[in-house]
Amino acid sequence: MQIIEVNKLGKNFGAGRAHVRALADVSFAVEEGRFVTLVGPSGCGKSTLLQILAGLIAATSGEARIDGERIRAPMPDKIGMVFQDPTLLPWKTALANVEFPLDLRGVDRAVRRKRCLALLDLVGLREFADNYPHELSGGMRQRVAIARGLAQDPRLILMDEPFAALDEQTRTRMGHDLLEIWERTRKTVFFITHSLAEAIYLSDMVLVMSPRPGRIIDTIAIDFPRPRDIDIIGSEAFGQIRNRIWHRIAQAQA
Amino acid sequence: MNAGIRSLVVAAVAVAAWEAVVRLGLISAIILAAPSDIILAAASDGAVFVRAFATTAIEIAAAIVMTWTLGIVVGLIVGSSHTLASATTPVLSSIFAVPLIILYPLLMAWLGIGPLSKVVFAVLSGFFPVALNTIDGVRAIEGRYIAFARSVGATRLQTYARIIFPLALPAIVSGLRVGTGLVVIGVIVTEMLASLGGIGFLISYHRTLFNTGHVYFGMVLALLMAVAVNMGLTAIDRRIGLWRMREENS
Repeated sequence: MQIIEVNKLGKNFGAGRAHVRALADVSFAVEEGRFVTLVGPSGCGKSTLLQILAGLIAATSGEARIDGERIRAPMPDKIGMVFQDPTLLPWKTALANVEFPLDLRGVDRAVRRKRCLALLDLVGLREFADNYPHELSGGMRQRVAIARGLAQDPRLILMDEPFAALDEQTRTRMGHDLLEIWERTRKTVFFITHSLAEAIYLSDMVLVMSPRPGRIIDTIAIDFPRPRDIDIIGSEAFGQIRNRIWHRIAQAQA
Repeated sequence: MNAGIRSLVVAAVAVAAWEAVVRLGLISAIILAAPSDIILAAASDGAVFVRAFATTAIEIAAAIVMTWTLGIVVGLIVGSSHTLASATTPVLSSIFAVPLIILYPLLMAWLGIGPLSKVVFAVLSGFFPVALNTIDGVRAIEGRYIAFARSVGATRLQTYARIIFPLALPAIVSGLRVGTGLVVIGVIVTEMLASLGGIGFLISYHRTLFNTGHVYFGMVLALLMAVAVNMGLTAIDRRIGLWRMREENS
């Protein structure tokens, strides 16, 4: 079953001479339960596409569906979001931040507490439940944000360059841990990054986007066995895929 | 001698010196009331002062509630619209720069010399700093928080109450400090200008009669009121202070 269906999607910003074509004719589909990554150069419209899928902005043309339903507004019960910046509420503890989406919907306190402690456990932060965001490291804050994205038990998680602000070491570690979380929850993940290695290491499928106006110029199935070992990044097969993506983007740029 | 006793002694000596300076005629009793005159004023007209104190306190309390509510609500609404904020902020800032006391004769003509004109004037003087600071606080909130609120399905009211308001709170509290000070001044000054009750009225009335002791007693009461209001604000500020520190790191 296809949880994301995007058909001839286009997006323009502004009007008249100042108008910018951010996306042109984007079409693809994502199978439920997959880990799919969209890669592309900075400014290619990746984030615009994600915001359209999230229901935060409207497309200019074409259509996008989540779980068969045309996107008109955010769908918090179907989609969890993780932004580049954790966007935690500084006056709330880690646990209260994870609980926040459920709190807004009036979920019973005991129910949401139990559920959110389990989520903090899943991201390895159970013992930091009562800490405030400023007491946590950048990687830990992003883990809290991931737990919060899972709070409403959505079927799809949209992640907008969630590890871009982290250092290399933490970033690799977070990717590894994200895969573990994904293997345990089996939510569909739609992930955006400009790091080719991150995209290949994490995904079942990589969508390659051209520079502006963004189009999908390649779709690559990644079939390294799971659970994945970090060592595959040094393998020849991995390098071949990376070169292929690199050349596709370079061609499109020329 | 421990510190407590020492400061008591220092205070006693100061009061005695103050009393002596006036008694010996070094400073005229019309300019400086002796401590005994102030106590006499309290003893002879205490009940009148208590009633006046209550009048002023009620006016200030009412004006504070209205100033805070109006300033914060207007600030939140104006601040969340770029168009509205850029259109109204220059106007609000210019009005804030005008000495609003020039409007008081008008308010008096419209609303009479009773408490209503005092409260309205006080709200008018306190409103602008509260609204302007709230607008600034809301304008400074990054768009990512609003995107987050929408993505988790927060209603408009929830977004204001649970995300925008708390994020803007440190800025709002700075506005409350300035605005509340102006409310206290506004009530007392307008009572002095024209009224039939309140501490400001008593101070002004006894001044014209050269009852310097009464004037000083009125000033002490007005000071007490200002100190109480300031203590309340400091308590709020201290709670927000912790939070401000947290915010810088997340």
